[in-house]
Amino acid sequence: MKIKIDHKLCTGCKQCEIACSLAHTQAVNPWRSRIRVFIGEEFCLPVIAGPYTEAACNSKGTLMIEGVEVDECVICRASCPAKSVYKEPDTEIPLKCDFCGEPPNPQCVQWCAPNALTLVED
Amino acid sequence: MFGWNGKILRVDLSRGTSRVEDMPSYLMGDYIGGRGVCARILFDEIDPRIDPLSPANKLIFSTGPLTGSGAPAASRFIVSAKSPLSNCVSSPCCGGYFGANLKYSGYDLLIFEGKSPEPVYVTIRNDLVEINPAGYLWGKVSSETEKAIREDMRTKHGLDNWALNSMGIANIGPAGENLVRFACIMSDGGRAAGRSGLGAVMGSKNLKAVAALGTGQVNIADVDGFRKAVMDFYQEGRDNKELLKRRMYGTWSLPGRANASKSQAAFNFKEGYFEEFVKYEDPEVIRALIRVRDEACFACPFACGKRSRIKNDPEYPLTAKGPEHETMALVGSNCGIGDMLDICRNNYLCNELGMDTITAGAVVSCAMELFEEGHLPEKDMGYPLEFGNRNMFKLLKQIARREGIGDLMAEGGIALAEKYGHPELYMGIKGMGIPAWHPQAFDALGLQYATCNTGGAHTKSTLPFYEGRKDPAYFVEFTKKDQDYIAAADSGVLCWIIYHGPLWGEKLAEWLTYVTGEKYTPEGVNRLGEKIWNLERLFNMRAGITGKDDTLPPRILNEPRVKNRVIELDKLLPQYYRLRAWDEKGIPTKEKLREMGLEKEGTDLI
Repeated sequence: MKIKIDHKLCTGCKQCEIACSLAHTQAVNPWRSRIRVFIGEEFCLPVIAGPYTEAACNSKGTLMIEGVEVDECVICRASCPAKSVYKEPDTEIPLKCDFCGEPPNPQCVQWCAPNALTLVED
Repeated sequence: MFGWNGKILRVDLSRGTSRVEDMPSYLMGDYIGGRGVCARILFDEIDPRIDPLSPANKLIFSTGPLTGSGAPAASRFIVSAKSPLSNCVSSPCCGGYFGANLKYSGYDLLIFEGKSPEPVYVTIRNDLVEINPAGYLWGKVSSETEKAIREDMRTKHGLDNWALNSMGIANIGPAGENLVRFACIMSDGGRAAGRSGLGAVMGSKNLKAVAALGTGQVNIADVDGFRKAVMDFYQEGRDNKELLKRRMYGTWSLPGRANASKSQAAFNFKEGYFEEFVKYEDPEVIRALIRVRDEACFACPFACGKRSRIKNDPEYPLTAKGPEHETMALVGSNCGIGDMLDICRNNYLCNELGMDTITAGAVVSCAMELFEEGHLPEKDMGYPLEFGNRNMFKLLKQIARREGIGDLMAEGGIALAEKYGHPELYMGIKGMGIPAWHPQAFDALGLQYATCNTGGAHTKSTLPFYEGRKDPAYFVEFTKKDQDYIAAADSGVLCWIIYHGPLWGEKLAEWLTYVTGEKYTPEGVNRLGEKIWNLERLFNMRAGITGKDDTLPPRILNEPRVKNRVIELDKLLPQYYRLRAWDEKGIPTKEKLREMGLEKEGTDLI
């Protein structure tokens, strides 16, 4: 199973961040969420936390998405020392999406009203 | 603590200091939060007779127990102070991400006192509260201000793109700096705490912006119950056509609706129908023309916000929020401007300069009528300004910068209309411009506007579309109920737009109960709303506002402009006062105040 992201449908409401932190911490705090939404003028980008990498990249670039320049760092899923997201705010312990257990029932997908996130078969 | 942080952050701008206080428990229980708490604090801490632009006024940014909790559409924050436009209590509501960030920083309320000797902006990152020089930001438009603050935070504090992106910023444009009495507070690229001129209060304190980035949490009392209730609510929402239409078109579907019901304010409320909007009756036309993306506030599944762009116009390069229906009416049809792109230009200018589109539009349309009738000579204007004239763009900039005649207009519509000898031509209530819907088209609307505590506002009670037409007594009752309910929702703080009609009060009570763990009922929250409404009324009375101010412009009262009807306010008002248990002058009775626990607050007034 995987979570398919259609950024064109994302409205930037961040309910996925709320759902994720509620499911994992029993409280609401987007900074403890394993999914974060980057708000842009033209579109928003939901990005789901992947594995931890110990070192930050040496080279950083930009990508063009629909004619808009996007920082590669923003769409990278890794939790890494150079990024403020995907780590516990106090302890800096890295966070990674676990699909909300077995069988997968990701809460972010459940809470995504505009259907930007959907759970699909591999 | 559940829902609440229980903390107030108080910033003394005169001394350049800040301190954290515990939130008194009676504030949390008796006033819900947000708007109610603001009303209480203003009543307790400032003399209602003060000059709103003096350092004695206080500017409060307030969240409620639901802010940041994830309750659907608990997205908003309230800004409150004594209004420099209406001299009343004011509590404009604003969406975006600032409110949630203030809450996650660990505070429920942020109070600004005094006046900074130099321009400053304040940054809040959890416990770290800094007052920074803002001389280099002074004069900048709203979008540039936000950009410069983000850049500052990057270089000074090493914040990365994610942190900068998550931050919420409330700021003023040149209009607020120049104390334009209908300047607004802008937030997050186009959201606004729009009505009642609080941008000028912020400007009078030399406060250019507040930025918040919080990484704390909100605790929910009943997590499982809350999660299930949200899921159920989403299920219901999926099939609700009205809500789906909201996400698709926002308020863009309203010009068609308003034209059909002859309530589209046009030509300074001389008419209730605007021919040039016929081409926009299908909202798909507007969507295809200007939409960039659907934009939600924090935690709102319905995303009624619309980000737009004027394509191929280098003078207006950025995207903007809206225009909402009120904007389309007041800087559009009411000024005789029917081209959607020109309306977008007006909207863009007002947002960047930091002015309320509604009152700005009302002032300009008043000037247009004065000009057409020959009362406002062209030599004073410097150019022609009949209805529909695109010189309006130039005029808006002049108002924000107080250049030429703009200096007079920045004082508001009453000052302008009086100077040229026709005060009756300004369509305002308690100084504040009337919003988009022509009151003569609906029975309840005139009463709602006239009795609103903050002036001519459309978001403190609203149209009973879904109820159809009934007798006047019904509308009087509707008005009271709606005013009370919305006062409660504004205190949650819950965006009532999607909780209106059949969901009245129920969902608000439900979310409050799940989040705070205290037992709230629909009747209970509406009763607290009534208490808030009365407290605001008492503040206004102490500020010198009386029942005589519960009125409408003569045009609305006496000239049958729409459907050959006038508003019989002299018949409706007594009924309304009776229902509120106020006397014939609109003063709350002692018995009523005792019942609500506001007896002490009414001393000497009754």
